[in-house]
Amino acid sequence: MRRRRFIQALAAAPAAPALLAQRQAAQQAAPAPAADAVVDPAPLDFSIADEGADPVSKFFSARQFATLKRLCDLLMPAAPGSPGALEARVPEFMDFLIGDAPTQRQQLWLSGLDGLEYQSQSRFRKAFVDTDATQADTLLAPLRQAWSFEPPDDPVARLLAAAKQDVRTATFNSFERNMAAAGGKRPRGGGGLYWLAVE
Amino acid sequence: MAATNYDVLIIGSGASGGMAAYTLTKKGIKCLMLDAGPPVDFQNNHVTKPAWQLPYRGLGNPARLPHVIQATEYDANQWVDEKQVPYTHDPNSPFNWVRVRYVGGKSLFWSRMSFRLSDYEFKAKDYDGFGDNWPISLADLAPYYDQVEPIFRVRGRKEGLKQLPDGNFIEDTTPWSPAVQKFIGEANKRNIPVTKMRSSLGRGQLASSLNLLLPDALATGNLTIIPDAVVRDITVDTNTGRVTGANFLDRHSRREMHAKAKVVVLGASCLESTRILLNSGIANSSGALGHYLHDQFYITQSVQAVMPEVRDKTAPAGYASGGGYIPRFRNLQSKEKDFLRGYAFDFSAGSTPDAKFFPLYGKALDDALDAHRGAGFSGTCMGSVLPRFENHVRINKDVTDAWGIPVLHIQARYGSNESNMAKDAINTMAELCKACGWEVLARHDQPFPPGYSIHEVGTCRMGDSPKTSVLNKWNQSWDIKNLFVVDGSSFVTAGSQNPTMTILSLSMRASEYLAEQMRKNEL
Repeated sequence: MRRRRFIQALAAAPAAPALLAQRQAAQQAAPAPAADAVVDPAPLDFSIADEGADPVSKFFSARQFATLKRLCDLLMPAAPGSPGALEARVPEFMDFLIGDAPTQRQQLWLSGLDGLEYQSQSRFRKAFVDTDATQADTLLAPLRQAWSFEPPDDPVARLLAAAKQDVRTATFNSFERNMAAAGGKRPRGGGGLYWLAVE
Repeated sequence: MAATNYDVLIIGSGASGGMAAYTLTKKGIKCLMLDAGPPVDFQNNHVTKPAWQLPYRGLGNPARLPHVIQATEYDANQWVDEKQVPYTHDPNSPFNWVRVRYVGGKSLFWSRMSFRLSDYEFKAKDYDGFGDNWPISLADLAPYYDQVEPIFRVRGRKEGLKQLPDGNFIEDTTPWSPAVQKFIGEANKRNIPVTKMRSSLGRGQLASSLNLLLPDALATGNLTIIPDAVVRDITVDTNTGRVTGANFLDRHSRREMHAKAKVVVLGASCLESTRILLNSGIANSSGALGHYLHDQFYITQSVQAVMPEVRDKTAPAGYASGGGYIPRFRNLQSKEKDFLRGYAFDFSAGSTPDAKFFPLYGKALDDALDAHRGAGFSGTCMGSVLPRFENHVRINKDVTDAWGIPVLHIQARYGSNESNMAKDAINTMAELCKACGWEVLARHDQPFPPGYSIHEVGTCRMGDSPKTSVLNKWNQSWDIKNLFVVDGSSFVTAGSQNPTMTILSLSMRASEYLAEQMRKNEL
């Protein structure tokens, strides 16, 4: 629901009527084609599933997913005009991504999330999802260590290093974040060169 | 219609195969070229896509291309599918075999860094006693570098360094930025040279066989290219011992065909050429085929530093931009370190350090990244790897690819020479950064697994003796006179320079020799 309200707020931005007016003006200005002229259809406007549907999470357990959501929110909080990881539905996306990953990567996330929850229970006698900002920051202490190319041995530290990168990328590259950057409109253009499969 | 009788069958269409076709067809020699991949329309085979439209949000399919560390979700389709063309290795000795199967091969996607080897490589044994010399010297190859560099339009600056011979360059007249000047000053105090990058400009979007070599070859009317032709083995006349052509399968239908020619030129890329020879059971009286696999070890972002004078947008525009190249400087005059040979760096100033380097998260991380925008300095280390007999490939008959062709088993690992070299390289770069007053955020002295540089060479090496090498000094099989191998597999020692210019030059040289031998009816 939180995301839907966010998208609805974006859709209410004044850019939408302006765009509609431009389209109407273009239609009025275009000369009428001859009756027998072949007219190429206008390019159709497609979106992606994230705009019109909700993801189905199925990899992480309910507890792991709750821990992941809290972690995502800490790593990439929302800012004014800039959706954070939760608005960008990164926990749901990570559920999909890690569910598709090789066993070793899955294990990193599973053991890391379980470890984070265990540390929270051990130190604060509460679930990670219920920790306050100070308590959570204590548990995320490995992220304040100097970065090393060698992954940490500790499962929680290892998860945090991976999550810091993946959650950040998944948020920046989300539909929601890009839509916000485009002023509430479906973002257009930009991006990188994508190589199509050649058959 | 009966198949045409071709003079030369060229297997592979990348830098080496393309150059063979370019050279031979201009001399009136009828060539048939087979490539395992499809033709690619470079303009239309890619589209601009925002990352939010990608199924994995730019993070990539986590189950695809486990060995291609450099693959992104954007370019995943350009690499060979490892499930379709697998290979095996010891779990404790990973090798990242990164391949491209399109007409044009890896020359479609290479980094364009364009260097000559020096006699420190061609005559390496004379300098340090390790391994073997090449059977040729720089003087033998220089006339071919001279011809190749204008075709690829190599831009560079002449520096007069023996270890990095000058070339036939388009002069690079761009100035150094102040930050790079500061770095050069500290390097020169330590007798470390810094040069401009030497890079192929090519034409249009490409510096590839596809646009620089194959069009000219086709224009002669002497070249026929068959894409989607997956070569299984080379055929031999058991009476004469000469090669007669190659068996191949259509990539789509798997229909088996045989291509016939008077001469076979292999340019299928280092390990694919060797795989074809091993599967053919030929050209190995020396026992050296498949051995002496080496490359350059790479450590990208080996040192990541921050320039405080650029932080918080305090530096004037253009203060920190551009980059350069540090050619090998170790062990040139005498043995000075606990390793043989040396390493190179390419470096750049003015980037923004990756988020992972900052010990922060959340809003504090965003603030730090904003403050350090354009304040980064980083270097990639490229180290010479010793060619050792024990680093080798062989056929694994228990595993086949999608066309039923047995795959390679790759057995390669770096040793103490490489690890000692990497430590010295990163210590040196970190010291230079600190001398500039820059803060070192992270340093990494462990090379990525062998193969990562995509500069694998050796396994079908040249030499002075048929007892210790597969090819003579003309890239011609010692065992089979009408068989040539013109790609990176023929290398004896790679050095720390990127190999493409040398591969192109060797192929041109071998092809000119081959043409002359054909003209004299001596093949």
